[in-house]
Amino acid sequence: MKDEEVDSVLAKAARAPYVLQPGTVQRIADSIKPSLRPVRPLPSARVLSSGLVLICATVSLAGAARAGFFGFAKMDLFERLLIFPALILLCWVAGEGFVHAMIPGSLRRISPGAILGFGSAALLALFASLFRDDQTDHFFSIGIVCLLTGLFHAIPAALLGWLLIRRGFAVNPVAAGLMAGVLGGLAGVGMLELHCPNFQAAHVLVWHTAVVPLSGVAGALVGWALRFRAESNAREHAQSE
Amino acid sequence: MGPRERLTVRTELREHAGIEIDCRKAFEPMHPDDNIEALMARYQQGDFSAATELIERISPRLHRFFLAQSQSRSDADDLLQETWLRIHKVRHTYRSGEPALPWFYAIARHVRVDHYRKSLRKAAGERQLEAMSTEVEPVQKESESADGLSLLLAPLPESQREVIEMLKVAGMSLEEVARATSSSVGSVKQKVHRAYKKLRETMGVTGTEKGQSGVYLER
Repeated sequence: MKDEEVDSVLAKAARAPYVLQPGTVQRIADSIKPSLRPVRPLPSARVLSSGLVLICATVSLAGAARAGFFGFAKMDLFERLLIFPALILLCWVAGEGFVHAMIPGSLRRISPGAILGFGSAALLALFASLFRDDQTDHFFSIGIVCLLTGLFHAIPAALLGWLLIRRGFAVNPVAAGLMAGVLGGLAGVGMLELHCPNFQAAHVLVWHTAVVPLSGVAGALVGWALRFRAESNAREHAQSE
Repeated sequence: MGPRERLTVRTELREHAGIEIDCRKAFEPMHPDDNIEALMARYQQGDFSAATELIERISPRLHRFFLAQSQSRSDADDLLQETWLRIHKVRHTYRSGEPALPWFYAIARHVRVDHYRKSLRKAAGERQLEAMSTEVEPVQKESESADGLSLLLAPLPESQREVIEMLKVAGMSLEEVARATSSSVGSVKQKVHRAYKKLRETMGVTGTEKGQSGVYLER
């Protein structure tokens, strides 16, 4: 059998008249009528993505302002020109991913998982090309502090991002959580790059970059937990009725 | 001669013949979907007549979409009602200028997945997982309530079935299906390809017999 034949069989089946049970439309219309009020549509995806990038930049700068801009001071112009625009670009991509995850019917160019993988790989490549110091002094003790500092800044960035697009509707809460986490993680990395003066390659590659996947996974888990809770509530509600 | 010129000539001929013409109808879009976006904007502004018209236009498609997945009319009725409540709640997330149909289907799909997950959990408490993993069984049980298309698509896995349903029944483009299913156009193409392969096999081998018995071709 050829594709054209399958097409014509499907078209024939699809053309068959399809009617709803009488009264269905009226019943649905009546159910929404009491709460029918004008609503303000969400702003465009570009405006929301810009807002998310702004939030990340603000959190990073505020964190570094509190802890000190030691990393930024130690960097040369070339490093600054490569690292910070790259972080802004990644924030924009993650922000767009987050916005698309929160608006039904959005066209998704890159999947959330790919954004996480691509973002982490891009950071690794960038840091590997810029930092050549092979020493590993106090690898774990200093590294853990940097990781926790990055994650500590990822949380407010992700929460503020969610606050900005809380009126959206996540058709896939796990994907939305993952994107919020990645976005927050990038804000955390931004803060670390501004603050941390430790330019040992292993330190930056492992502990700074790890903030993004860890916060992404944490965000996905939060999304999963929220979905699970919503389902449990709905089930309890149905049982009580 | 372009369509507008053709319309003008036709209008002149009718006027010449003394037939009254309703101008609003004459300039109505050729494809009924062209208006869904405008109706959606009016719905967001609180226009009840626009909401009712949207419900009238979209509901049969969504109902058919649910029926193709669940094979049960009562399930499809419940899902349709639930979908409209959800649509109403999140109607502000539609942005004018964007295609409305993928937005509707994305929400419908979310409601269906939610429903499926809930029923799966409910069933898991009652029996073993293997017993409920059979997806084709309900077709035999409730085939009298399913339409021809549902039966036709029954052998396909859920992800392929919904893509075929959106493309072939709802008449959406590949990009619109990608929007509705939160995936890429490439992934949609791949699903369509696999679905067609499966349909070719089914219709080619068992379909000939079923076609003769009228299950596939006559409904």
